[in-house]
Amino acid sequence: MIESVAPGQIDLGLIRYVWLIPALPLAAFLINGLFGRRWLKHATGWIASGAMVAAAALAVGVFLDVLRGNEHTTVTLYRWIGVGEFKIDVAALVDPLSSVMLLVVTVVGSLIFIFANGYMAHDHGFPRFFTWFSLFAFAMLLLVMADNYLLMFVGWEGVGLCSYLLIGFWFEKPAPQHAANKAFWMNRIGDWGYTIGMVTTFLVFGSMTFTEVFEKVGIATQANLVLICIAFFVGAAGKSAQLPLYSWLPDAMEGPTPVSALIHAATMVTAGVYLVARSTPLFVAAGPSLQVVGVIGAVTAIFAATIALVQFDIKRVMAYSTVSQLGYMFLALGVGAPIAAIFHLATHAFFKALLFLGSGSVIHAVGDEQDMRKMGGLRRKLPVTYWTMLIAGGALAALPPLAGFWSKDEILSAAFLSGHTALWAVGIVTAILTAFYVTRAMWMTFHGEPRDHHLYDHAHESPAIMTLPLVLLAVGSAALGLAIGFPPDQGFIHSFLKPAVEAPGVAEPAPELATILALSAASVVAGLVGIVVGISMYVRHRPDPAAVTRAAGPLYRLLVNKYYVDELYDRKFVEATRAFFGVLWAFDVHVIDGIANGIGRLAAAGGGGARRLQTGVVGNYALTVVVGLLVVLVAYGGYAAGVFKR
Amino acid sequence: MSYDFLETILFALLTIGIVGGAVGVVFLNRITGAALLMAFTFLCNAGMFVLLGAETIAAFQVLIYVGAITVLILYGVMFTPQQHRPYALFFQKQTPWAALFVAPIAIFVALFAFSFRDSAHPTPRGGDLVPLATSVFKDFAFPFEVASVLLLAAMIGAIVLVKRDEDE
Amino acid sequence: MTIPVGAFIAVSSILFFLGVTGVLVRRNAVVILMCVELMLNAANLALVAFSRRAGSVDERGSVFVVFVFVIAAAEVAVGLAIVLAAYRNRPTVDVDEVHAMKG
Repeated sequence: MIESVAPGQIDLGLIRYVWLIPALPLAAFLINGLFGRRWLKHATGWIASGAMVAAAALAVGVFLDVLRGNEHTTVTLYRWIGVGEFKIDVAALVDPLSSVMLLVVTVVGSLIFIFANGYMAHDHGFPRFFTWFSLFAFAMLLLVMADNYLLMFVGWEGVGLCSYLLIGFWFEKPAPQHAANKAFWMNRIGDWGYTIGMVTTFLVFGSMTFTEVFEKVGIATQANLVLICIAFFVGAAGKSAQLPLYSWLPDAMEGPTPVSALIHAATMVTAGVYLVARSTPLFVAAGPSLQVVGVIGAVTAIFAATIALVQFDIKRVMAYSTVSQLGYMFLALGVGAPIAAIFHLATHAFFKALLFLGSGSVIHAVGDEQDMRKMGGLRRKLPVTYWTMLIAGGALAALPPLAGFWSKDEILSAAFLSGHTALWAVGIVTAILTAFYVTRAMWMTFHGEPRDHHLYDHAHESPAIMTLPLVLLAVGSAALGLAIGFPPDQGFIHSFLKPAVEAPGVAEPAPELATILALSAASVVAGLVGIVVGISMYVRHRPDPAAVTRAAGPLYRLLVNKYYVDELYDRKFVEATRAFFGVLWAFDVHVIDGIANGIGRLAAAGGGGARRLQTGVVGNYALTVVVGLLVVLVAYGGYAAGVFKR
Repeated sequence: MSYDFLETILFALLTIGIVGGAVGVVFLNRITGAALLMAFTFLCNAGMFVLLGAETIAAFQVLIYVGAITVLILYGVMFTPQQHRPYALFFQKQTPWAALFVAPIAIFVALFAFSFRDSAHPTPRGGDLVPLATSVFKDFAFPFEVASVLLLAAMIGAIVLVKRDEDE
Repeated sequence: MTIPVGAFIAVSSILFFLGVTGVLVRRNAVVILMCVELMLNAANLALVAFSRRAGSVDERGSVFVVFVFVIAAAEVAVGLAIVLAAYRNRPTVDVDEVHAMKG
């Protein structure tokens, strides 16, 4: 039975049924998993999508109920673990932060599910796809709703598992297998950090439940807090693809495009951001950790943006873009603006998902080709895709009044106003790069003359089931920022989220209007600079991209090869690990098997030796009896003579 | 006049008979000779029993051992003719080992035996039958019956073992 | 009686160990059976001698001797049956040659 414990006293409404939200995708997973392959076949798509849409409706309801004033409700299902001091419930914390996350995951998720019905229609693994997709949705929702670190970890691991399953969806080919393994390995390294953070939290605070831990922040030493926060950030870096655990995300593009859109743009990779945002009271109390978060976020942002400049695979461009935008979110967290980070998380979910789905539509149209050098001029053939992707691209480049502008501008302003001028500068430069590579990608794909006429002739717009989600996401990308984030710092989302992420002792900067306008202008100018340079290079060939490539020479090669990071990792870590495994394997074969086989050989040898007593000659056996008699007599004699003491 | 010395002479003669017969059984190459010497040993043993005043036992000894068992052994000898072979091959391969282990025990036991110094106390003449019979049929009636069952089983077993397979 | 019990026991033990030697040393199975009979006789002699030690006559010794007779007879019968059955298989009573149970 659902039993709710409510510190907020207003009528709970739908919050009581919040556990239905993950339960619906879980049910879809079970039904699809058990019956999908043989009986349901394409109905699995409807079941999974229907579950997500219903969950989205419920999420809207829960959101409205939280809005009405239920700022902090815990809905407990049951006590999971109760061992002495260690108590963990399966319980959901329904507050503004989690309700926003629920909305983002379910709404964007539903649209992607619907899109996938069309995109995967010809794939023979269709039921399997929707089974894993639903399981992922369940795990992600569990992650977002949990009221304690351990339950959240269950969801955390679950999304990691589903990421592996879905990246390696076309497992018959070697590249997806390797990509899935790589993703899982890097995630696992992050999970190690998360586990250390989680266990240390329990050791220091005696609990893993958010509310209990945050109440007692004062009792921990600075050293403890820093340890916990850095450990959690390692986990977040693994899950959200920050340096140095980022290189799995571009490889994850081996998976089907809806997977890239849902898992590697809108939801799973944002789990790290959510973790840090949720743990704001801890991070704020441990001063240096926030610096680390901010710096790594900023460096990752610019690093990934430089690589995106020269990629030719359209999905790779979007992947590096995602890494870069996630860096922005961590930058926001690092300068003490968690609301800005969550805001950007929400807008990014819309426009990045749209960019990925649009790419999927393009790829589908040109017969599974992903290299932009073979595209061109497609805007005439794919109008809906073109216009929706244009809006999303504009949002990514942070052009007002699209959604991305409001959230990115807020991040940059927060960086500047809190005194982190260096980070602000990095953010501005990255914004220029972002606008440039998005323009480049759009132009290479949709404008100019078609470079491969065969592909161009066969290109066709996608069916309605795929274009409708594109349109809806475009609406979100365009309007969401204005709707919830205007005016800056005083919009709806700011007042809504503040109680959830407020931390004691954080000073609110109160800037003048002139400063705000100047900063916004700087952001807009940065975006325009990028776009103008892009158009100039690609439309008018001033300067010509090929010439720039030749001139940059070694720098260009460095970027195209992604700074040789993969090769570095391979040489330093992978080969060392393989050598270590070799040692372990040798130990297993020689020592452990040696012992086992040795015991066997010993038994056999013993038996073989003892066997020689059985000569088969009866006389020998009689002699043995006499020898035994001799032994008995000796023993008796010794006993009688007092040799053996009683 | 004391005729005690007669006992000693008789004992010595019977001892020579027993030991000589046994040595002959063990070391003689002609098997029928060995069998007959065994019978001679049995007879001397019966004499020992008489010396100890256990005439009934002596009678049983002669009946069973000299009478039945010797005949059985002779039957066995008769039905298992062996080819002639050199004397050395009468002995098992393990003979040296056997000697090694038996000698110490034998010496030890013989020495131990000589520690019994008290005299033997024979029953009066003809006086051992009644107590024996009373004991067997009163105190040991059950083992007696079991012994008869054992004999029955042995008889049947021996017949079964030796039966030829019928070809009908 | 002037003969000490120990003398009878000594004779019995000599007879016994001659029998043991014969069992361990001779090849012919029938001879081995004969030596087993010698051992049983030695046991009988020892039993009767011990039952007539100074003091009283314990007739339980004699009773035991009766049972030894029974057992000896049964054993000879069955033993010879086995030897004959084995002889029928392979015409040998040489115990050194019968090692089908080796290993």
